Amino acid sequence: MSVAAPAPQDADPLDLAGRVARVTAVAERHLAAADRDAAFPVQALDELRDTGLLGLVVPQEYGGLGGALRDVVDAGIALGRCDMSIALIFTMHCQQAAAVLAYAAEPLRSQLLPTLGAGRHYLASVSTESGKGGHLYSAHAALHERGDELAIDRFAPVVTGGEHADGFLITMRNVGATADNDVALVYAARDQLLVEPAGDWQPMGMRATRSAPLKLAGAVPRHQVIGPGAPFRDIANQVLGPYAHLGWSASWLGTAAGALSRTLGLVRGPAGRKRFDLASELLLTRLSTARQRLDAVHAQLRHTLAMVETTQDITTPANQLLLNSLKITASEQCHAAVDDLVDAVGLQHGYLKDSPTRIEQALRDLRSAALNYKNDRLHLADGRLALLDREVSFA
Amino acid sequence: MDSGFIDLLRRQLKVDAATEIAADSPLRDLGMDSMRSIELLFTIEDTYGITLPDSELNETVFGSPGSLWAAVAAQLPPEQVAR
Repeated sequence: MSVAAPAPQDADPLDLAGRVARVTAVAERHLAAADRDAAFPVQALDELRDTGLLGLVVPQEYGGLGGALRDVVDAGIALGRCDMSIALIFTMHCQQAAAVLAYAAEPLRSQLLPTLGAGRHYLASVSTESGKGGHLYSAHAALHERGDELAIDRFAPVVTGGEHADGFLITMRNVGATADNDVALVYAARDQLLVEPAGDWQPMGMRATRSAPLKLAGAVPRHQVIGPGAPFRDIANQVLGPYAHLGWSASWLGTAAGALSRTLGLVRGPAGRKRFDLASELLLTRLSTARQRLDAVHAQLRHTLAMVETTQDITTPANQLLLNSLKITASEQCHAAVDDLVDAVGLQHGYLKDSPTRIEQALRDLRSAALNYKNDRLHLADGRLALLDREVSFA
Repeated sequence: MDSGFIDLLRRQLKVDAATEIAADSPLRDLGMDSMRSIELLFTIEDTYGITLPDSELNETVFGSPGSLWAAVAAQLPPEQVAR
Protein backbone atom coordinates (compact mmCIF):
# COMPACT_ATOMS: atom_id res chain seq x y z
CA MET A 1 0.00 0.00 0.00
CA SER A 2 1.41 3.34 -0.95
CA VAL A 3 0.71 6.50 0.95
CA ALA A 4 0.69 9.81 -0.87
CA ALA A 5 3.11 12.31 0.56
CA PRO A 6 1.21 14.92 2.54
CA ALA A 7 1.07 18.35 0.96
CA PRO A 8 3.42 20.83 2.64
CA GLN A 9 1.49 22.64 5.34
CA ASP A 10 2.48 26.07 4.16
CA ALA A 11 1.88 25.51 0.43
CA ASP A 12 -0.44 28.29 -0.70
CA PRO A 13 -0.06 28.82 -4.43
CA LEU A 14 -2.80 31.43 -4.37
CA ASP A 15 -1.03 33.51 -1.68
CA LEU A 16 -3.95 35.91 -1.68
CA ALA A 17 -2.67 37.91 1.30
CA GLY A 18 0.75 38.36 -0.27
CA ARG A 19 -0.67 39.53 -3.59
CA VAL A 20 -3.10 41.91 -1.91
CA ALA A 21 -0.29 43.31 0.24
CA ARG A 22 1.62 44.25 -2.91
CA VAL A 23 -1.43 46.15 -4.15
CA THR A 24 -2.08 47.95 -0.86
CA ALA A 25 1.59 48.97 -0.65
CA VAL A 26 1.18 50.77 -3.98
CA ALA A 27 -2.32 52.08 -3.23
CA GLU A 28 -1.13 53.50 0.09
CA ARG A 29 1.38 55.76 -1.64
CA HIS A 30 -1.19 57.29 -3.98
CA LEU A 31 -4.44 57.30 -2.05
CA ALA A 32 -4.26 60.85 -0.72
CA ALA A 33 -3.72 62.30 -4.20
CA ALA A 34 -6.36 60.02 -5.73
CA ASP A 35 -8.90 61.20 -3.13
CA ARG A 36 -7.94 64.84 -3.53
CA ASP A 37 -8.07 64.81 -7.33
CA ALA A 38 -10.89 62.25 -7.74
CA ALA A 39 -8.38 60.36 -9.88
CA PHE A 40 -8.52 56.69 -10.77
CA PRO A 41 -5.81 54.67 -8.93
CA VAL A 42 -3.98 53.64 -12.09
CA GLN A 43 -0.85 52.53 -10.22
CA ALA A 44 -2.86 50.23 -7.95
CA LEU A 45 -4.78 48.87 -10.96
CA ASP A 46 -1.45 48.11 -12.63
CA GLU A 47 -0.42 46.22 -9.51
CA LEU A 48 -3.74 44.31 -9.60
CA ARG A 49 -2.71 43.33 -13.13
CA ASP A 50 0.91 42.48 -12.23
CA THR A 51 -0.13 40.32 -9.26
CA GLY A 52 -2.60 38.42 -11.44
CA LEU A 53 -5.41 39.43 -9.10
CA LEU A 54 -7.56 40.70 -11.98
CA GLY A 55 -7.69 37.01 -12.97
CA LEU A 56 -8.56 35.89 -9.43
CA VAL A 57 -11.87 34.13 -10.20
CA VAL A 58 -10.75 32.70 -13.56
CA PRO A 59 -9.90 28.97 -13.38
CA GLN A 60 -6.26 27.97 -13.75
CA GLU A 61 -7.02 26.16 -17.02
CA TYR A 62 -7.61 29.62 -18.52
CA GLY A 63 -4.52 31.07 -16.88
CA GLY A 64 -6.28 32.61 -13.89
CA LEU A 65 -5.66 32.14 -10.16
CA GLY A 66 -8.61 29.78 -9.70
CA GLY A 67 -10.03 31.67 -6.73
CA ALA A 68 -13.66 31.74 -5.64
CA LEU A 69 -16.20 34.16 -4.17
CA ARG A 70 -14.67 33.56 -0.73
CA ASP A 71 -11.34 34.87 -2.00
CA VAL A 72 -13.01 37.94 -3.50
CA VAL A 73 -14.56 38.65 -0.10
CA ASP A 74 -11.23 38.22 1.70
CA ALA A 75 -9.44 40.43 -0.83
CA GLY A 76 -12.24 43.01 -0.63
CA ILE A 77 -11.85 43.31 3.13
CA ALA A 78 -8.05 43.51 2.91
CA LEU A 79 -8.10 46.13 0.14
CA GLY A 80 -10.82 48.10 1.93
CA ARG A 81 -8.64 48.39 5.01
CA CYS A 82 -6.34 50.47 2.84
CA ASP A 83 -8.78 52.23 0.50
CA MET A 84 -12.46 51.73 -0.22
CA SER A 85 -12.23 52.83 -3.85
CA ILE A 86 -9.67 50.21 -4.84
CA ALA A 87 -11.67 47.55 -2.99
CA LEU A 88 -14.84 48.47 -4.89
CA ILE A 89 -13.00 48.63 -8.22
CA PHE A 90 -11.57 45.18 -7.61
CA THR A 91 -14.65 43.39 -6.29
CA MET A 92 -16.85 44.79 -9.06
CA HIS A 93 -14.33 43.67 -11.67
CA CYS A 94 -14.45 40.17 -10.13
CA GLN A 95 -18.25 40.31 -10.30
CA GLN A 96 -18.08 40.94 -14.04
CA ALA A 97 -15.44 38.24 -14.58
CA ALA A 98 -17.52 35.74 -12.61
CA ALA A 99 -20.55 36.46 -14.82
CA VAL A 100 -18.46 35.78 -17.92
CA LEU A 101 -17.13 32.58 -16.37
CA ALA A 102 -20.58 31.32 -15.41
CA TYR A 103 -22.53 32.30 -18.52
CA ALA A 104 -20.38 33.12 -21.56
CA ALA A 105 -20.86 30.58 -24.36
CA GLU A 106 -18.53 29.64 -27.20
CA PRO A 107 -16.86 31.22 -29.04
CA LEU A 108 -16.81 34.17 -26.63
CA ARG A 109 -15.83 31.89 -23.77
CA SER A 110 -12.62 30.69 -25.40
CA GLN A 111 -11.77 34.21 -26.51
CA LEU A 112 -12.43 36.12 -23.33
CA LEU A 113 -11.56 33.79 -20.45
CA PRO A 114 -7.83 33.49 -21.32
CA THR A 115 -7.74 37.28 -21.68
CA LEU A 116 -9.32 37.68 -18.24
CA GLY A 117 -7.19 34.88 -16.77
CA ALA A 118 -3.99 36.64 -17.80
CA GLY A 119 -5.04 39.38 -15.40
CA ARG A 120 -4.41 42.30 -17.72
CA HIS A 121 -8.01 43.03 -18.71
CA TYR A 122 -10.04 45.34 -16.46
CA LEU A 123 -13.79 44.95 -16.89
CA ALA A 124 -16.20 47.73 -16.04
CA SER A 125 -19.90 47.31 -15.41
CA VAL A 126 -22.39 49.43 -17.31
CA SER A 127 -25.75 48.90 -15.66
CA THR A 128 -26.89 52.39 -14.69
CA GLU A 129 -29.15 54.38 -16.95
CA SER A 130 -30.94 57.72 -16.73
CA GLY A 131 -34.44 57.34 -15.37
CA LYS A 132 -33.92 53.91 -13.79
CA GLY A 133 -30.87 54.60 -11.64
CA GLY A 134 -29.13 51.41 -10.65
CA HIS A 135 -32.12 49.14 -11.14
CA LEU A 136 -30.45 46.00 -12.43
CA TYR A 137 -33.40 44.10 -13.83
CA SER A 138 -34.48 46.55 -16.51
CA ALA A 139 -32.99 48.49 -19.41
CA HIS A 140 -34.29 51.28 -21.64
CA ALA A 141 -31.61 51.61 -24.34
CA ALA A 142 -32.11 48.80 -26.82
CA LEU A 143 -29.76 46.65 -28.87
CA HIS A 144 -30.39 47.01 -32.60
CA GLU A 145 -29.49 44.62 -35.37
CA ARG A 146 -27.00 46.13 -37.78
CA GLY A 147 -26.15 43.52 -40.41
CA ASP A 148 -24.58 40.59 -38.56
CA GLU A 149 -23.82 42.71 -35.56
CA LEU A 150 -25.60 44.23 -32.60
CA ALA A 151 -25.43 47.98 -32.32
CA ILE A 152 -24.92 49.60 -28.91
CA ASP A 153 -25.67 53.26 -28.34
CA ARG A 154 -26.03 54.10 -24.73
CA PHE A 155 -25.49 56.73 -22.06
CA ALA A 156 -24.53 55.58 -18.56
CA PRO A 157 -24.51 58.10 -15.70
CA VAL A 158 -22.27 56.06 -13.38
CA VAL A 159 -19.51 53.75 -14.67
CA THR A 160 -16.85 52.87 -12.12
CA GLY A 161 -13.45 53.16 -13.77
CA GLY A 162 -15.05 53.38 -17.19
CA GLU A 163 -12.35 55.69 -18.57
CA HIS A 164 -9.72 53.05 -17.74
CA ALA A 165 -11.60 49.85 -18.58
CA ASP A 166 -10.31 47.41 -21.17
CA GLY A 167 -13.77 45.97 -21.66
CA PHE A 168 -17.37 46.49 -20.58
CA LEU A 169 -20.33 44.35 -19.61
CA ILE A 170 -23.34 46.39 -20.63
CA THR A 171 -27.01 45.83 -19.85
CA MET A 172 -29.21 46.61 -22.86
CA ARG A 173 -32.84 46.05 -23.71
CA ASN A 174 -32.92 42.94 -25.90
CA VAL A 175 -33.49 43.02 -29.64
CA GLY A 176 -37.23 42.93 -30.20
CA ALA A 177 -38.02 43.13 -26.48
CA THR A 178 -41.61 43.89 -25.59
CA ALA A 179 -40.83 44.90 -22.01
CA ASP A 180 -38.05 46.73 -20.17
CA ASN A 181 -37.24 43.63 -18.14
CA ASP A 182 -36.11 41.72 -21.24
CA VAL A 183 -32.45 42.55 -20.70
CA ALA A 184 -29.34 41.37 -22.51
CA LEU A 185 -25.88 41.51 -20.96
CA VAL A 186 -23.37 42.28 -23.70
CA TYR A 187 -19.59 42.21 -23.64
CA ALA A 188 -17.76 44.87 -25.61
CA ALA A 189 -14.01 45.36 -25.79
CA ARG A 190 -12.88 48.94 -25.56
CA ASP A 191 -11.74 49.00 -29.20
CA GLN A 192 -15.21 47.92 -30.35
CA LEU A 193 -16.74 51.06 -28.91
CA LEU A 194 -16.44 54.77 -29.12
CA VAL A 195 -16.12 55.66 -25.43
CA GLU A 196 -16.80 59.30 -24.70
CA PRO A 197 -16.62 60.91 -21.26
CA ALA A 198 -19.99 62.55 -20.73
CA GLY A 199 -19.52 64.51 -17.55
CA ASP A 200 -17.41 65.19 -14.49
CA TRP A 201 -16.96 63.16 -11.31
CA GLN A 202 -16.77 65.27 -8.15
CA PRO A 203 -18.43 63.20 -5.41
CA MET A 204 -18.27 63.40 -1.62
CA GLY A 205 -16.49 60.06 -1.27
CA MET A 206 -15.29 56.96 -3.13
CA ARG A 207 -13.63 59.55 -5.30
CA ALA A 208 -10.93 57.28 -6.69
CA THR A 209 -13.54 54.99 -8.26
CA ARG A 210 -13.82 57.71 -10.91
CA SER A 211 -17.38 56.62 -11.68
CA ALA A 212 -17.97 59.34 -14.24
CA PRO A 213 -20.71 59.24 -16.89
CA LEU A 214 -19.92 57.74 -20.26
CA LYS A 215 -21.45 57.58 -23.69
CA LEU A 216 -20.83 54.27 -25.43
CA ALA A 217 -21.46 53.60 -29.10
CA GLY A 218 -20.41 50.77 -31.40
CA ALA A 219 -21.32 47.31 -32.59
CA VAL A 220 -20.34 43.81 -31.53
CA PRO A 221 -20.86 40.31 -32.99
CA ARG A 222 -24.00 38.57 -31.76
CA HIS A 223 -22.01 35.98 -29.84
CA GLN A 224 -20.86 38.67 -27.41
CA VAL A 225 -24.20 38.51 -25.63
CA ILE A 226 -23.46 36.76 -22.33
CA GLY A 227 -25.52 33.65 -21.69
CA PRO A 228 -27.59 33.35 -24.84
CA GLY A 229 -30.50 31.24 -23.73
CA ALA A 230 -30.07 32.15 -20.06
CA PRO A 231 -32.44 34.88 -18.96
CA PHE A 232 -30.61 37.93 -17.63
CA ARG A 233 -32.57 37.46 -14.43
CA ASP A 234 -30.64 34.21 -13.83
CA ILE A 235 -27.27 35.92 -14.34
CA ALA A 236 -28.34 38.64 -11.93
CA ASN A 237 -29.66 36.22 -9.31
CA GLN A 238 -26.86 33.67 -9.48
CA VAL A 239 -23.81 35.88 -9.96
CA LEU A 240 -24.25 39.64 -10.20
CA GLY A 241 -26.39 39.99 -7.06
CA PRO A 242 -24.33 37.80 -4.72
CA TYR A 243 -21.01 39.21 -5.96
CA ALA A 244 -22.33 42.76 -5.63
CA HIS A 245 -23.70 42.49 -2.11
CA LEU A 246 -20.84 40.38 -0.76
CA GLY A 247 -18.14 42.35 -2.58
CA TRP A 248 -19.50 45.73 -1.53
CA SER A 249 -20.08 44.62 2.05
CA ALA A 250 -16.54 43.25 2.23
CA SER A 251 -15.16 46.54 0.89
CA TRP A 252 -17.16 48.57 3.41
CA LEU A 253 -16.27 46.29 6.30
CA GLY A 254 -12.60 46.57 5.38
CA THR A 255 -12.87 50.35 5.17
CA ALA A 256 -14.39 50.63 8.64
CA ALA A 257 -12.04 48.00 10.08
CA GLY A 258 -9.06 49.92 8.69
CA ALA A 259 -10.29 53.14 10.27
CA LEU A 260 -10.89 51.43 13.62
CA SER A 261 -7.48 49.75 13.50
CA ARG A 262 -5.67 53.02 12.74
CA THR A 263 -7.67 54.70 15.51
CA LEU A 264 -6.69 52.03 18.03
CA GLY A 265 -3.08 52.36 16.91
CA LEU A 266 -3.28 56.07 17.56
CA VAL A 267 -4.92 56.02 20.99
CA ARG A 268 -2.87 53.00 22.11
CA GLY A 269 0.47 54.43 21.00
CA PRO A 270 2.83 56.18 23.44
CA ALA A 271 1.79 59.66 22.27
CA GLY A 272 -1.88 58.73 22.09
CA ARG A 273 -1.91 57.48 25.66
CA LYS A 274 -0.83 60.91 26.84
CA ARG A 275 -3.57 62.60 24.83
CA PHE A 276 -6.45 60.17 25.32
CA ASP A 277 -7.73 58.92 28.67
CA LEU A 278 -8.04 55.21 28.00
CA ALA A 279 -9.89 54.74 31.28
CA SER A 280 -12.62 57.10 30.07
CA GLU A 281 -15.87 55.17 30.10
CA LEU A 282 -17.19 57.26 27.23
CA LEU A 283 -14.17 56.47 25.05
CA LEU A 284 -14.29 52.79 25.96
CA THR A 285 -18.01 52.64 25.17
CA ARG A 286 -17.53 54.31 21.80
CA LEU A 287 -14.72 51.94 20.87
CA SER A 288 -16.86 49.03 21.98
CA THR A 289 -19.85 50.20 19.97
CA ALA A 290 -17.79 50.61 16.82
CA ARG A 291 -16.27 47.17 17.26
CA GLN A 292 -19.68 45.63 17.99
CA ARG A 293 -21.08 46.99 14.73
CA LEU A 294 -18.18 45.54 12.75
CA ASP A 295 -18.39 42.14 14.41
CA ALA A 296 -22.10 42.02 13.54
CA VAL A 297 -21.39 42.89 9.90
CA HIS A 298 -18.54 40.41 9.75
CA ALA A 299 -20.74 37.64 11.15
CA GLN A 300 -23.51 38.35 8.67
CA LEU A 301 -21.00 38.57 5.82
CA ARG A 302 -19.54 35.14 6.64
CA HIS A 303 -22.98 33.61 7.19
CA THR A 304 -24.30 35.00 3.89
CA LEU A 305 -21.19 33.78 2.08
CA ALA A 306 -21.75 30.28 3.45
CA MET A 307 -25.39 30.42 2.32
CA VAL A 308 -24.41 31.48 -1.22
CA GLU A 309 -21.76 28.75 -1.39
CA THR A 310 -24.04 25.94 -0.27
CA THR A 311 -27.65 26.73 -1.13
CA GLN A 312 -29.49 24.78 -3.82
CA ASP A 313 -31.74 27.73 -4.62
CA ILE A 314 -30.56 31.25 -4.02
CA THR A 315 -33.89 32.72 -5.13
CA THR A 316 -35.96 31.62 -2.10
CA PRO A 317 -37.35 34.57 -0.15
CA ALA A 318 -35.32 33.70 2.94
CA ASN A 319 -32.06 33.57 0.97
CA GLN A 320 -32.79 36.77 -0.95
CA LEU A 321 -33.73 38.53 2.28
CA LEU A 322 -30.45 37.48 3.89
CA LEU A 323 -28.41 38.67 0.91
CA ASN A 324 -30.22 42.01 0.69
CA SER A 325 -30.14 42.59 4.42
CA LEU A 326 -26.38 42.00 4.44
CA LYS A 327 -26.03 44.91 2.03
CA ILE A 328 -28.34 47.15 4.05
CA THR A 329 -26.78 46.22 7.39
CA ALA A 330 -23.20 46.57 6.16
CA SER A 331 -23.88 49.93 4.53
CA GLU A 332 -25.49 51.32 7.68
CA GLN A 333 -23.30 49.78 10.36
CA CYS A 334 -19.90 50.37 8.73
CA HIS A 335 -20.75 54.03 8.29
CA ALA A 336 -22.12 54.24 11.83
CA ALA A 337 -18.99 52.62 13.24
CA VAL A 338 -16.74 55.23 11.65
CA ASP A 339 -19.12 57.96 12.78
CA ASP A 340 -18.66 56.62 16.34
CA LEU A 341 -14.93 57.03 15.88
CA VAL A 342 -15.30 60.72 15.01
CA ASP A 343 -16.81 61.29 18.45
CA ALA A 344 -14.36 58.93 20.10
CA VAL A 345 -11.24 60.82 19.04
CA GLY A 346 -12.63 64.29 18.39
CA LEU A 347 -11.89 67.01 15.90
CA GLN A 348 -8.18 66.70 15.28
CA HIS A 349 -8.09 63.00 14.51
CA GLY A 350 -11.73 62.43 13.66
CA TYR A 351 -12.49 65.33 11.37
CA LEU A 352 -9.30 66.65 9.83
CA LYS A 353 -7.97 65.27 6.57
CA ASP A 354 -4.36 64.93 7.64
CA SER A 355 -4.94 62.61 10.60
CA PRO A 356 -3.24 59.21 10.23
CA THR A 357 -6.58 57.63 11.22
CA ARG A 358 -8.05 58.64 7.82
CA ILE A 359 -11.45 58.66 9.57
CA GLU A 360 -12.49 61.73 7.58
CA GLN A 361 -12.06 59.97 4.24
CA ALA A 362 -13.52 56.67 5.47
CA LEU A 363 -16.68 58.47 6.62
CA ARG A 364 -17.09 60.25 3.29
CA ASP A 365 -16.40 57.04 1.40
CA LEU A 366 -18.84 55.01 3.47
CA ARG A 367 -21.64 57.55 3.09
CA SER A 368 -22.02 56.22 -0.44
CA ALA A 369 -22.77 52.70 0.77
CA ALA A 370 -26.48 53.31 1.38
CA LEU A 371 -26.79 54.89 -2.07
CA ASN A 372 -24.79 52.33 -4.02
CA TYR A 373 -27.81 50.28 -5.10
CA LYS A 374 -30.02 52.34 -2.87
CA ASN A 375 -31.16 50.93 0.46
CA ASP A 376 -34.58 52.52 -0.07
CA ARG A 377 -35.05 50.39 -3.19
CA LEU A 378 -33.78 47.29 -1.45
CA HIS A 379 -36.16 47.79 1.48
CA LEU A 380 -39.10 47.78 -0.95
CA ALA A 381 -37.90 44.50 -2.41
CA ASP A 382 -37.37 43.09 1.07
CA GLY A 383 -40.81 44.18 2.21
CA ARG A 384 -42.35 42.21 -0.65
CA LEU A 385 -40.11 39.22 0.07
CA ALA A 386 -41.04 39.37 3.76
CA LEU A 387 -44.70 39.00 2.77
CA LEU A 388 -43.75 35.77 0.98
CA ASP A 389 -42.17 34.26 4.07
CA ARG A 390 -44.93 34.25 6.66
CA GLU A 391 -43.13 31.72 8.81
CA VAL A 392 -40.04 33.93 8.93
CA SER A 393 -37.74 31.05 8.06
CA PHE A 394 -34.23 32.38 8.49
CA ALA A 395 -31.63 31.29 5.96
CA MET B 1 12.95 37.38 34.91
CA ASP B 2 14.15 40.93 35.22
CA SER B 3 14.00 42.10 38.86
CA GLY B 4 12.69 45.47 37.67
CA PHE B 5 9.83 43.58 36.06
CA ILE B 6 8.88 42.01 39.40
CA ASP B 7 8.95 45.47 40.98
CA LEU B 8 6.77 46.79 38.20
CA LEU B 9 4.23 44.01 38.76
CA ARG B 10 4.28 44.62 42.49
CA ARG B 11 3.56 48.33 42.01
CA GLN B 12 0.88 47.87 39.35
CA LEU B 13 -0.97 45.07 41.13
CA LYS B 14 -0.37 46.63 44.57
CA VAL B 15 1.12 43.42 45.97
CA ASP B 16 2.68 43.92 49.40
CA ALA B 17 6.36 43.22 49.96
CA ALA B 18 5.68 40.13 52.05
CA THR B 19 3.97 38.32 49.20
CA GLU B 20 6.33 36.46 46.91
CA ILE B 21 5.92 36.88 43.15
CA ALA B 22 7.18 33.77 41.38
CA ALA B 23 7.36 33.07 37.67
CA ASP B 24 4.33 30.80 37.90
CA SER B 25 2.23 32.78 40.39
CA PRO B 26 -1.21 33.19 38.82
CA LEU B 27 -1.56 36.92 38.22
CA ARG B 28 -5.29 36.71 38.91
CA ASP B 29 -4.48 35.57 42.44
CA LEU B 30 -2.33 38.69 42.75
CA GLY B 31 -5.30 40.92 42.00
CA MET B 32 -5.19 41.26 38.23
CA ASP B 33 -8.49 42.04 36.54
CA SER B 34 -9.35 43.32 33.06
CA MET B 35 -8.87 46.99 33.95
CA ARG B 36 -5.55 46.40 35.70
CA SER B 37 -4.33 44.26 32.82
CA ILE B 38 -4.79 47.21 30.44
CA GLU B 39 -2.95 49.55 32.82
CA LEU B 40 -0.25 46.95 33.30
CA LEU B 41 0.11 46.54 29.54
CA PHE B 42 0.58 50.27 29.00
CA THR B 43 3.01 50.59 31.89
CA ILE B 44 5.07 47.71 30.50
CA GLU B 45 5.07 49.24 27.02
CA ASP B 46 6.09 52.65 28.37
CA THR B 47 8.73 51.26 30.72
CA TYR B 48 10.44 49.04 28.17
CA GLY B 49 9.69 51.15 25.09
CA ILE B 50 8.09 48.25 23.30
CA THR B 51 4.75 47.37 21.73
CA LEU B 52 3.42 43.90 22.44
CA PRO B 53 1.90 42.36 19.31
CA ASP B 54 -1.87 41.69 19.30
CA SER B 55 -1.14 37.95 19.21
CA GLU B 56 0.38 38.17 22.72
CA LEU B 57 -2.55 40.02 24.26
CA ASN B 58 -4.41 37.05 25.71
CA GLU B 59 -5.14 35.44 29.07
CA THR B 60 -2.41 32.84 28.72
CA VAL B 61 0.35 35.42 28.26
CA PHE B 62 -1.19 37.58 30.98
CA GLY B 63 -1.68 34.52 33.19
CA SER B 64 1.66 34.53 35.03
CA PRO B 65 4.73 36.74 35.49
CA GLY B 66 6.84 34.17 33.62
CA SER B 67 4.70 34.03 30.51
CA LEU B 68 4.28 37.78 30.47
CA TRP B 69 8.02 38.36 30.86
CA ALA B 70 8.68 35.93 28.00
CA ALA B 71 6.43 38.03 25.76
CA VAL B 72 8.15 41.23 26.90
CA ALA B 73 11.64 39.78 26.49
CA ALA B 74 10.81 38.70 22.95
CA GLN B 75 10.41 42.38 22.05
CA LEU B 76 13.64 43.52 23.74
CA PRO B 77 17.12 43.67 22.24
CA PRO B 78 19.15 40.65 23.48
CA GLU B 79 21.57 42.68 25.63
CA GLN B 80 18.66 44.12 27.61
CA VAL B 81 17.25 40.65 28.37
CA ALA B 82 20.56 39.21 29.53
CA ARG B 83 21.22 41.73 32.25
